[in-house]
Amino acid sequence: MTSIISARGLTKRYGRTVAVDHIDLDIPPGRIVGLIGPNGAGKTSALKAILGLATFDGELSVMGKDPSRERAALMEDVCFIADVAVLPRWIRVWQLIEITEQIHRGFSREKCLEYLTHTKITPDQKVKQLSKGMVAQLHLALVMSIDVRLLVLDEPTLGLDILYRKQFYTSLLNDYFDEQRTILITTHQVEEVEHILTDLVFIQDGKIALEASMDEVEKRYVELMVRPEMAEKARGLKPLYERELFGRHIFLYDSAEREQLASLGEIHTPSVADLFVATMKGGQS
Amino acid sequence: MNRLLALIKREYWENKGALRTTPLVIGGIYVAFLLMSIFTTTHIDSDLYTFREAVRIMGEQAPEHRGMIMYQVMLGSSVLFTVVMSFVIFFYLLGSLYDDRKDRSILFWKSLPASDTLTIASKLITAMVVAPLTFFVVMILTHIIMSIIGSFMVLSADGNPWTLFISVSNPLKAWAMIATSWLAQSIWALPLYGWLLLVSAFAPRVPLLFATLPPLIFAILQTWIEFLRTFTLKNNIVGVIGNWMFNSPAILTAEVRDRHGEIALGIPLTKDFDHAVTLANILDRLFSLQMLAGLVIAAVFLTGALWLRHRATDN
Repeated sequence: MTSIISARGLTKRYGRTVAVDHIDLDIPPGRIVGLIGPNGAGKTSALKAILGLATFDGELSVMGKDPSRERAALMEDVCFIADVAVLPRWIRVWQLIEITEQIHRGFSREKCLEYLTHTKITPDQKVKQLSKGMVAQLHLALVMSIDVRLLVLDEPTLGLDILYRKQFYTSLLNDYFDEQRTILITTHQVEEVEHILTDLVFIQDGKIALEASMDEVEKRYVELMVRPEMAEKARGLKPLYERELFGRHIFLYDSAEREQLASLGEIHTPSVADLFVATMKGGQS
Repeated sequence: MNRLLALIKREYWENKGALRTTPLVIGGIYVAFLLMSIFTTTHIDSDLYTFREAVRIMGEQAPEHRGMIMYQVMLGSSVLFTVVMSFVIFFYLLGSLYDDRKDRSILFWKSLPASDTLTIASKLITAMVVAPLTFFVVMILTHIIMSIIGSFMVLSADGNPWTLFISVSNPLKAWAMIATSWLAQSIWALPLYGWLLLVSAFAPRVPLLFATLPPLIFAILQTWIEFLRTFTLKNNIVGVIGNWMFNSPAILTAEVRDRHGEIALGIPLTKDFDHAVTLANILDRLFSLQMLAGLVIAAVFLTGALWLRHRATDN
């Protein structure tokens, strides 16, 4: 299987600061990958390199193309939403549709207008007259009407209320995603995307802290909740991370013996958010 | 080609105020002044006595002479359009690679499969062709409206507008001359356009300062060093830029001297080129060594602008 994105030793420096530090990454087609990391971990720098918006060191190939030299050609097969605020404010909706139609070969005006009928957006409105949520709807409608193989979303729902955020991901999953397409998402709101992701990439200090499919995560990681009296025993089994909640001790294990853990307390699959915290804290100690 | 057209359309939509409204305002000013002068005349002289006299005297002139005056009036009326258009293009180019970096919409534009070369080409074409075109269309409309108003005026003074000024004038010749001079000016101004695009792609903020300060500082240093060396103030960059402007192939001079109209290419203060408004003189400028040097400079600036645009993102 050929990778959609393949990076070897991808590095991005800003002066002396290293934002992305020799990353190796392979993203196969037909996946929804969450690129998750704390602020300043290098997510956006990595995305910008992938999208041909920044220079970088190392090897990077996106659908067989070098993004730093072939951005325009690459964009035939890639769409991205940087965040909700980047549509030009002066433009009218119909002008935006016309320009996209004339520049993007894979754009379908019918599809776009169809998506827009489900919103309050009208063709004659200017982007600056739309609310933040409506701009996000408009951008998503545009992007979903373009037939591409890779969609990159960088904090696409930043600053939107919960209704818009839910709707955003629902339409993305129901109307857009299929086996041929790959979606790469970065976000802080991990809880919202964890149910749609097929793969996780944690990034910390410019390095990859974890790269695994959700199936692997489910198999590898287990969370154990125990009463205080069992805590010492649980700690002995080398948990990645420990926290306390309502007087219970919660431990997170990597590749542990499930039956053994089950004898100590309740076990379940950790949420991505908990796994993230555990990985970040674990990586620091 | 389709993509380039789409990008040019974008420039037109984004700058509708500058590219369409501005020439309309100038045309409106011309028409308003004409109407005001008509009202003033009729107010002071309700029998139109003076005006009838003027029509009569003009009618006595030879047709060739009347044609010549019409030609000069038309060329002369283009000067205001030319000057305002130059300002419009100046500020348009200065913002063209800066505004979308400032409001981050560059991230949207760069998500489209249009190369940076095509983007810069669309901006340059807008400055060189689209702006002159919109100004030209509005100027022609202005000429037509003013002729209609003038005809009614002549009719009401019992004159015949057709024989008096319409049949003797050659509007196509005047319009062709103006269009040619504007297109020639687009080429002549390429070093400036290149510089503005470069600054627009580079400036972290206030592009106007970045566009004007470097030549100014350079000029001051040059003058100072020149003075220290020779104790004279000879040609420096200010002189070079001034000469370049005075030699422009656009009609920048229209004045009345000793009751004769004087129309000239550029500003007739230099002797490098003949300033008479002829096609040969326009071509003479385009095929000169100065122009060649200008094209080389423009190419350097444009390459720089492209290099910067390629690396530009939202911060």
